[in-house]
Amino acid sequence: MGAYILRRLWQMIPTMLGVVLLVFFLFNWVGGDPAYVLAGKISNQEQIDNIRRQLGIDQPYYVQLGIFVKQILTANFGASWSTNEKVSHILLTRLGPSLTVLVPLLILSTLISIALALAVAYVRGSLTDRLVMIVCTIGLSVSILVYIIVFQYVFAYKLGWFPVQGWGDGFWHNLAVYASLPILISLVVSIAPDLRLYRTFMLDEINQDYVRTGRAKGVSENRIMWVHVLRNASIPIITNLMSSLPGLLLGSFLIERFFSIPGIGREVILAVERSDFPVIKAITVYVAFATILTNLLADLTYKAVDPRVQLK
Amino acid sequence: MRSGFRGLAGILALLVATTATSLAADPAKVLRIAFPVAETGFDPVRVSDLYSATVIEAIFDPLYTYDFLARPAKIVPNTADGMPEVSDGGRSYLIHLKHGILFSPDPAFGGKPRELSAEDYVYTFKRFADPANRSPWAFLINDRFVGLDEQVEQAKKTGKFDYDAAIPGIVALDRYTLRLTLKRPDYLLPYTLAHSAFGAMAREVVEKYGNDLQAHPVGTGPYLLKEWRRAARIVLEANPGYRKRIWDFQPGDDPWDRQVVAEMKGKTIPQIGRIVISIIEEGQSRWLAFSRKELDLLALPATFRAEALDRSNRLKPALAKDGVKLYRAIDPSVSYAFFNFRDPVVGGFSKEKIALRRAVIMGYDLPEEIRVVDKGQAVQAQMPIPYGVVGFDPAYRSINQYDPVLANELLDYYGYKKGADGYRTLPDGKPLVLQMATGTAAADRERDELWLKSMNAIGIRMVFNQGKFADQLKAAKACHLMMWDAAWTADYPDGDDFLQLLYGPNTGQSNNGCYQSKAYDAMYEQSRLLSIDSVDRQHLYLDMTRQMEVDGAWVLQTSPERNELIRPWVLGYKKHPILNADFVYLDVEAHK
Repeated sequence: MGAYILRRLWQMIPTMLGVVLLVFFLFNWVGGDPAYVLAGKISNQEQIDNIRRQLGIDQPYYVQLGIFVKQILTANFGASWSTNEKVSHILLTRLGPSLTVLVPLLILSTLISIALALAVAYVRGSLTDRLVMIVCTIGLSVSILVYIIVFQYVFAYKLGWFPVQGWGDGFWHNLAVYASLPILISLVVSIAPDLRLYRTFMLDEINQDYVRTGRAKGVSENRIMWVHVLRNASIPIITNLMSSLPGLLLGSFLIERFFSIPGIGREVILAVERSDFPVIKAITVYVAFATILTNLLADLTYKAVDPRVQLK
Repeated sequence: MRSGFRGLAGILALLVATTATSLAADPAKVLRIAFPVAETGFDPVRVSDLYSATVIEAIFDPLYTYDFLARPAKIVPNTADGMPEVSDGGRSYLIHLKHGILFSPDPAFGGKPRELSAEDYVYTFKRFADPANRSPWAFLINDRFVGLDEQVEQAKKTGKFDYDAAIPGIVALDRYTLRLTLKRPDYLLPYTLAHSAFGAMAREVVEKYGNDLQAHPVGTGPYLLKEWRRAARIVLEANPGYRKRIWDFQPGDDPWDRQVVAEMKGKTIPQIGRIVISIIEEGQSRWLAFSRKELDLLALPATFRAEALDRSNRLKPALAKDGVKLYRAIDPSVSYAFFNFRDPVVGGFSKEKIALRRAVIMGYDLPEEIRVVDKGQAVQAQMPIPYGVVGFDPAYRSINQYDPVLANELLDYYGYKKGADGYRTLPDGKPLVLQMATGTAAADRERDELWLKSMNAIGIRMVFNQGKFADQLKAAKACHLMMWDAAWTADYPDGDDFLQLLYGPNTGQSNNGCYQSKAYDAMYEQSRLLSIDSVDRQHLYLDMTRQMEVDGAWVLQTSPERNELIRPWVLGYKKHPILNADFVYLDVEAHK
């Protein structure tokens, strides 16, 4: 196990290197020269050159790349080019609001999707199963933007159950007051695809011999579904779940924009709009790192869930 | 003896100022507003976005400001004790400061009251010139003051700006007197001195907070920063030590003014204790927040115009019944498309090139742009100087009106023949293709379609080159773009701010069309030598406008109209063309 983990960690290096090169060259080729924007409405070439010098983008590419690598190794990405706020401070302060929405969402969405998937898989082929699938398909076909606009209008404006937008100070206050509607919308959006996917995993298992054997031996349906089927269907579910974890670091920019949640998703969009490379670099690198780590974590969880899995 | 008396007066003024707390705004009065774009920070030297500037304007005090009601905008003293004494043919400005103005308390001052002095302005001006600050406002100060550019050059060599070195052009003669000496006559300097970015900063504060200065704005203005959650929420609180200032502006011709005066005259500035600013980027969220009375003022998002206004731009009954007021104003801004005068297809001053450009101008369906693209919320710009800005003439009419028939005739006359495909060629038979730089936003696509339709109607083929704003700007500054849609908003309320966009030597800086007309440049240079209220200067502005029209320099387009929705409990609202922190001059009544 230890050797496996070490090998996987070692394999992270070329992957990260690829990410670094991709981000660096994408920014330099298509990112635009931020000096022209930062220079203000009226500027001459000398002022623009001064800004480029201060930002370090007048350096040869290999020097800039070296600085980028050093920043990753020291976890110090400097300050935002447009606001001068430290990148580490940006990440620390914006991550909280995003996680306040996304962590409860992930937990609720997973639990509800699994429970519903088990239920509809159990009554597969029935009218209920078909109705749920039709609703899911319709739900999947509608853009999240429509959900946001309609839910904000109906539940926040018309019914007044939630504030239209905003963000407070305390975690519980935010969770109860400001995050509720965004979580509700995200739940509606995320349950449909998860439910369809998990139902497929469940159906694959329900048709297995061990289920028939269990029933023949008189094991209760509840135990078959919640213990045996769920356990065996858990590997693809874990894969799906783990792949969504790095998304926590990216937030949900549409939800954050519409509900004025000062999260990381809004920050990413702001950074792109402002060609704020230090922020873009840091977030990209951390998300890549998180993706690799969660993949590793997923593999280790497979082993814990199913002892037949061999880690090579 | 004289200085002793002045010192005593200063102490008395300080005492008055410190006991003026009783005049402070009512903390129970709260105004809730929204910014549609996130601020960047509050170091006046470093930021140039509108929303950061709004907060900066409320916190810092420039020497001069603007009369809240006068139109065109009129400069009035702020921390200065009277208008500047101008001498030496516009080269020398002597400015006296009011006594007893205090910075808001801050640990940087060691717990003592800190009075504003002329030296603070000297230091502030130097900060704009310091290359390390890469100020977007440096253009307002560079090449202006005697001795400053030499200091800048020295800083470039040594890597450090010497703030202690004397600059002959920016001198504090004593604690309350500032003398500014210019390299050449300049009657526009008061506009720079009234610019919100040029509010006084205390050196102690700058040195204490260093790189974190963006989060620690400490000024002498009517408000101080109480809370800042970046890109989410800004709370300003009335500065309890703010000097005594009474709302006493005279109404103009606008009937709205009389109501404003009735509501505000004689009140202390500011009246509102707390300004709560939420960053709400989405139009729907702002509109719903206003509708739910979570906001007191709203710049109506264009997409919600139909929800709030009828076809005649009057408030819909539901809002009117709620007591909501509508204030419509034309922004001090113009949009235009420039031609590159160095481009081989559209550039130059030969008759056929001028004819081509003017045909394009006359062929562009501006009424359609106002109706469809701007959704009726813009007015045609007749001159490069917009409404509310000195030099604007409401009677002036452009010679280049929309007239596709005349545009076609002009092109035919100058030999731009139509081929079998219906598109014209150049007089020498080469293909005629207009290349317009454009962005990737939905609004860009809408405008591109209108351009295409307009040019097809006069037989001109047009292609669009999409790109990022920074890249397009870089190409424009190098005179590499054939055409590009642009817009300019007043930095100061004088036509000069707009007409400089066409001044030849500004090529590579702000003259992105690289227009270089000897006649225009001569008139522009002459206008710079005349005082702001000179009649000759106004004539020159009109002549320059006519010159750029005759040459076909710009496809002059529109000035946007804004619709402000105001809850009934907000008193004294009027949009100022230059001042952004309108809330300084407002009041709020008790309400549920």
